[in-house]
Amino acid sequence: MKSFGTYVRKQRERLRAGDPEYSLRKVAARIGVAPSFLSNVERGQESPPSEPKIHALASVLGEDPDVLLALAGKISTDLQQAICHRPQVFARLIRELKDLPDHAVEQVEQAARQVREGQW
Amino acid sequence: MIELQRDALTFSFPDVHPEARLSIDFQRTLRIPDDGDDYPLPPGLGRFPTRLVDDFSKEVPRTWLQHGGVMLPMYQSEALWLNFECGWVEMHRAQYPFAVKIAAGKINAVSGDAWSDRLQRRSQDYMVAPEQPWLDGFCVEKGFIRQFVAMPLGSGYSAEEQLTGEAEFGGLQVIVYPMKREVFERRFPKRPERIGDASALYRHMDMAVCGAAADMALAPGGRMHQEIYEDPFSFDDWDREHTSRCFVHLANSLVWRAITGSDPPSVPPTAKEYKKAGLPWYDYYDDKAVALGGSKKLDGLDSVAVMGEKKGDVPLPENESVTPENIVNLRRGLNPGQVREGSF
Repeated sequence: MKSFGTYVRKQRERLRAGDPEYSLRKVAARIGVAPSFLSNVERGQESPPSEPKIHALASVLGEDPDVLLALAGKISTDLQQAICHRPQVFARLIRELKDLPDHAVEQVEQAARQVREGQW
Repeated sequence: MIELQRDALTFSFPDVHPEARLSIDFQRTLRIPDDGDDYPLPPGLGRFPTRLVDDFSKEVPRTWLQHGGVMLPMYQSEALWLNFECGWVEMHRAQYPFAVKIAAGKINAVSGDAWSDRLQRRSQDYMVAPEQPWLDGFCVEKGFIRQFVAMPLGSGYSAEEQLTGEAEFGGLQVIVYPMKREVFERRFPKRPERIGDASALYRHMDMAVCGAAADMALAPGGRMHQEIYEDPFSFDDWDREHTSRCFVHLANSLVWRAITGSDPPSVPPTAKEYKKAGLPWYDYYDDKAVALGGSKKLDGLDSVAVMGEKKGDVPLPENESVTPENIVNLRRGLNPGQVREGSF
């Protein structure tokens, strides 16, 4: 997973240029891993860390956790659970939307939904 | 029919007129100090994320499913205002008018009376859009409201609890009545086509800054200058056969993630932070409209700060007084293309 490590290193180095808090050692300490492990991950010599560590890393670096997880070849647990809960619905939906451009997917997201008046 | 799209409710009445559409959204804002002073209108910091309660049927309380409607997240002591936008009918070069009644915890925000589905003209208990572009709180006096401030239902602060002694409903309730089609077509006859709607007013800021119980209720907060206008039309102009109503549940932001899986918006800036940044406040005038007198019932309620003092609580963190300086005056009634003179 070199792309994950390369991306993390690039973002961390960019932040470190303006703030020493983003040194390898300090970032590793903030997410609770050894500096040598993070260094190996950044150089693609070690697999990306666990999902909770990727979430922590995303939080420290100000990145979108879903993007970091995707770079690590993972899907967040909540999405996995949602798909496993209704596999046919989500499989159909994803296959239908996967080739559409972003603006078309956004239109689907923003479709009007009817509101039920209820009793009160 | 009511639809939810992009965090706004659209009430449409295709049986009355194809363009009879009113959009209502719920704006995040800063809480004005509840210190006895009068404040101008605070900004809109964007719409609250608004979701259908039916989409979270396993997570929301059973009563919410019974009420139907939508839900949005509010922190304790966070404020909100309602934004009304009427559909533009190009052929008539006019916005389609609506009578709108708003209640908090089934207490009418204009009259202070208990909820009723019927419109009341004598001692008017509704507003007229587009004449009334916004509502920020409870109408307590001619030209003044007390800001809608969220407090947990059951804590005793809400208008509902102060007036009924019960903590039963919370949330916001909305009912909308369109103008009769024949009346609209008579009052706003067809006119030559012209592009654009110059009557929309905006007070939105695009700002980058910009084990709890689930239910929140609205309580009267700080005083603000805002007029609630008299109905400029005849009572018979309203189509009382076609109405739509919606219950808007206010979910404590602390439980929003547990219900929806999404984070609520961040806490809005305080009035002090906002003023320090030199950002604008607003004042709104309509020279042609007549303001309603306020509700004595609502004026008699304790504001959140006053009740907090009586209870020995501090319900409003960071309630320091501020002196707004950068005030933008907005005036209704300009013709399309007309330039506002302003003051200088």
